[in-house]
Amino acid sequence: MIPQLAFASLTKRPLRTALTALGIAVAVGSTVVFLSLGEGMRRAFNEGMAGLGPDIQVSYGAFDATSLSSVPQLPQHYATSLQEVAPEYGISAVTPVLVYIRGSLAAARAFVFYGVPIDVDLNRMYTDFAIVEGRELGPRGSEPSAEGGVPVVGEAVVGEQTAERSSINVGDVLRFNPSAAFEVVGTAIADGGLLDNAIIVPLEPLQAALGAEDRVSFLTLELEDPSAASATAERLSQTYPELGFQTRSDLSSVFERAVRISDVIRLGISAIALIVGGIAVANTMLMSVFERTREFGVVRAVGARPRFLMGLVLLEALLLSLVGALVGIGLGYLGVIAVNAAAYDVIGLDVAALTPRLVGFAVAVAGGMGLLSGLLPAARAARVPIAVAVARE
Amino acid sequence: MLHAAGLRKTYKTPAGDVNALLSFEHSFASGQVTAVLGPSGSGKSTLLNLLAAFDTPTEGEVWFDDVAIHSLPEKERAGLRLRSFGFVFQSFNLVSVFTALQNVALPLGLAGVNRAERDERARQTLDRVGLLHRADHLPHKLSGGERQRVALARALANDPSVVFADEPTGSLDTANGALVLSALEEVAAEGRTVVLVTHDAALAGRAYVRLRLRDGVLEEVEREPSTELEQEPAISVPDPRRARVEAVPLASR
Ligand SMILES: Nc1ncnc2c1ncn2[C@@H]1O[C@H](COP(=O)(O)OP(=O)(O)OP(=O)(O)O)[C@@H](O)[C@H]1O
Ligand SMILES: [Mg+2]
Repeated sequence: MIPQLAFASLTKRPLRTALTALGIAVAVGSTVVFLSLGEGMRRAFNEGMAGLGPDIQVSYGAFDATSLSSVPQLPQHYATSLQEVAPEYGISAVTPVLVYIRGSLAAARAFVFYGVPIDVDLNRMYTDFAIVEGRELGPRGSEPSAEGGVPVVGEAVVGEQTAERSSINVGDVLRFNPSAAFEVVGTAIADGGLLDNAIIVPLEPLQAALGAEDRVSFLTLELEDPSAASATAERLSQTYPELGFQTRSDLSSVFERAVRISDVIRLGISAIALIVGGIAVANTMLMSVFERTREFGVVRAVGARPRFLMGLVLLEALLLSLVGALVGIGLGYLGVIAVNAAAYDVIGLDVAALTPRLVGFAVAVAGGMGLLSGLLPAARAARVPIAVAVARE
Repeated sequence: MLHAAGLRKTYKTPAGDVNALLSFEHSFASGQVTAVLGPSGSGKSTLLNLLAAFDTPTEGEVWFDDVAIHSLPEKERAGLRLRSFGFVFQSFNLVSVFTALQNVALPLGLAGVNRAERDERARQTLDRVGLLHRADHLPHKLSGGERQRVALARALANDPSVVFADEPTGSLDTANGALVLSALEEVAAEGRTVVLVTHDAALAGRAYVRLRLRDGVLEEVEREPSTELEQEPAISVPDPRRARVEAVPLASR
């Protein structure tokens, strides 16, 4: 009987029900959009990076979010040093990598340069690496460029997506700075999104162009037994206390921690909208409980326990919130599409994602909010004495 | 058997205590309509609320057979109202978002009767009051008299032992009022106790027992129907309806 009565009561005043549900929909929708940003970052990370990283990554000091954006810090002699002790630690390959991010507000002019030794096996760095057009990096000496005075100091392999977005073709010359340029010899694809924004160039010319000879951003270590990564990292950091050794899971947790913090901030902002939505539900329910005082008295007189009315009001609040949540998730989905469309132009990544667990979270939050905001009206409904309720004109 | 002894109800108000009912004592016989009469404010509704387990007395006892209503916890009062009592109020009796049928089915649903059976029994009871053809109408589509008959059907749905009616004809014209009263008389004739609060001396005159309240005190108990009993109601009840009443016995009776 309770569901039947709850449904009939909500549909009796369609406009009020719709407006209240809309309030919740907006709150839930904005929450969904906000939180989808974190989900998008996680997805991008998981798809693009997590599986692709090295067994162990070596940084100078602890690795954090700023490690890649500052000038390279790690002296390259550690590469030689680690190579020497490689058998002792079960290291099968040591690769120095220099990452240089050239940011720009214009998407077409923002690149990530990866300097790697010319003879490195890119298949080992990227899963399912494949040349789409042209060829891999080869050796070449510095030579004057055909146009202008900038010497071509090396070759470059460009991620296919970057190539498309910035109209780079095989044979083009990329001007890195006034004294260095790279000639594009190939475009490539790989699993995940990382290579999409990358320009791979030889390590030494990139170091020279940056004036950072003998410095790299990090070293990557491949292990004979990847499952021993944690133990090996532990042993290495005792021998080299000045270095940081991160395993894949360390990197994920650094990233996860950063995303969590931003989740909390975004949830905080959303909470304001959710609280306003909750107040709207409470207000609507209080109003409708007040209007039905007499009717509730009759229902009690007929033999309903206070619990019946409590359940009724809570169910109405819950239904109201859940309908709002469903519409809100729809709105949020449109918002996510809009955010991604805007972001794709700028950074070439889907920054927002509407994941099943986000949908679940939104439904749960809305449901919890509905129950919470229904509590006060429900308690009121159950408390009015029958004699008073039926006496009221 | 419904019995009240030494009943007192005192309302605490900012302006002081109001003794709405004092030392009330009476046994309500089954099989008859007992009318409660008295001027406005004399304590009629207060008495009915105490008898019907809506409210607790300040002092005194209310017994229903061997159940002490005055000291019953709310949960059991609800059960008593559901299974043994029925109610008709002056107005606003019905749940406005429920159809006539759903309103009559409400106490059955509360008692845990399954949907198919409660619809069937609600239909039978609606038919008793001659309103089966209005089963799917919402209350606001019904006339005042029809609404009161639906309320009576609901009061009877769980086959109660006692039916309370507080001014059930108060917002009806004479003809419809007489119809409702006749229905109550039939209900009493089935062996139930009917307690009827009314202002209307003409209606009260048809009752076998009349209690007169004044300022919360039971002034007088009249045990014989007055001469007005001989008068026919202003309109007579249509025969087909009476026929149906006899043809459909109350469920589970
Ligand atoms: N909840 C209450 N709080 C305070 N006083 C009340 C309350 N209910 C009733 N009273 C008072 O108790 C007295 C009896 O009221 P009651 O409603 O029983 O009278 P009544 O005989 O039913 O009157 P009416 O014919 O107008 O319905 C009145 O003085 C009334 O003002
Ligand atoms: Mg009254």
